[in-house]
Amino acid sequence: MRNLYLAIVKNRDHVIFIFALLFSSYILLNNDNPRMGVIRGKSAEIVAFISSPMTWVKSLLFLEEENHLLREKNVVLSLQVESMLNLQKENDQLQTMLDFKHQTTLLLQPAHVVNKGIQPNLLSIIIDVGTDDNVHPNQPVLTSKGIIGKTIETGKNASIVQLISDVNYRLSVRILPSGATGILRWLGDNQAQIREVQKNVDISIGDKIITSGFSDIYPAGLPVGQVAGVYDERGSFQKILHATLPNDMSAFQYVFVVIENSNEIE
Amino acid sequence: MKSNRYIISGVAVWLIQLLLADLLAIKTVRPDFLAILILYWAIKYGRLHGTVSGFLIGILIDLSGTASFFGLSPLLYSITGYLSGNLKGAYSKLSPFYFSLAWVGILGLQFFIFCIVQYQDILYIDPRLFWMKWLGTTLYTFCFAGILQVIYPFHRLEPC
Repeated sequence: MRNLYLAIVKNRDHVIFIFALLFSSYILLNNDNPRMGVIRGKSAEIVAFISSPMTWVKSLLFLEEENHLLREKNVVLSLQVESMLNLQKENDQLQTMLDFKHQTTLLLQPAHVVNKGIQPNLLSIIIDVGTDDNVHPNQPVLTSKGIIGKTIETGKNASIVQLISDVNYRLSVRILPSGATGILRWLGDNQAQIREVQKNVDISIGDKIITSGFSDIYPAGLPVGQVAGVYDERGSFQKILHATLPNDMSAFQYVFVVIENSNEIE
Repeated sequence: MKSNRYIISGVAVWLIQLLLADLLAIKTVRPDFLAILILYWAIKYGRLHGTVSGFLIGILIDLSGTASFFGLSPLLYSITGYLSGNLKGAYSKLSPFYFSLAWVGILGLQFFIFCIVQYQDILYIDPRLFWMKWLGTTLYTFCFAGILQVIYPFHRLEPC
């Protein structure tokens, strides 16, 4: 026993190293542990609190430029709303004629990005909303351009968002107008790949990509991106698509969390 | 007193990484100041301190908003700390070229394991893109490590 103790003391560098490797592997293999989730939620709150002065300074720096852009966007959106109101009226009339009722409501919670993680690559962000704002794990997060990720851990007033650029992130999508479905994964530099797409569907470059609605997390119809390339996989019954994602992953400050949705089709 | 300096410098670099590294980001790639700090600490204090500080800083990194692979950072930084701890006092035994090659290799290995885990899909889909990602992530941190070498080179660290 004494010899063992002396051997451990003598080789404590190696023993500590092996212990560190084993303990890290244990944590890595127990990512889904609920107790771990609580710790991560609390730590996200602390990081959000520490980051808040810097976020405030950053938002002040970009305030004038942002204001100018928002004014421009406001005019464009007002014009679009005008034309959409006319289209909705026409759509309502046509739906009444077909006796078809389709209603989709999304309740969005705006959030501010307070931190973009600490790792050498951008894979997650922390936002300033949490359970106090009805934000819970596994809720979609998007910008006005399209989906950017989902919440994975929530504290009282901060949440960790897994970005689309994370290796574990997959999204079930539908390509319009063909209606084909596939699984999207990130490739890098606003590019993504869609697999599991049937070979016999007609897909062109520029086709719109939206969420399919097959997932429990993402409601159907949320914008995702555009088709940038179509490739036939030899010896397979599937196509591979390349997609362009509209969000610049390194340059967004505000996001929306979809906290409630209800799809009702009769 | 010594441990206070240790903690203060660690927290300061963590805050710089947390608050300022994003301002230096090129697209989605950011420099890893904490890896450089562990390298310095391990070369000065040795394997034991390198491993322990690497593990603790790794935990701190993962608690600072990591989405998936919680536990990967302590694993990586422990390896970096342990390996670079072997370089304690090695500057006088090795030639400067081999000494530099050793710490460059350790940092390269750390980012390689990180990229293998984080970009395993890309390695399968487009190996060229994977190697570019690894190179980009590694070189950006090397640039800052290189600048620090001019200001305060590793060989000026007195082994404790």
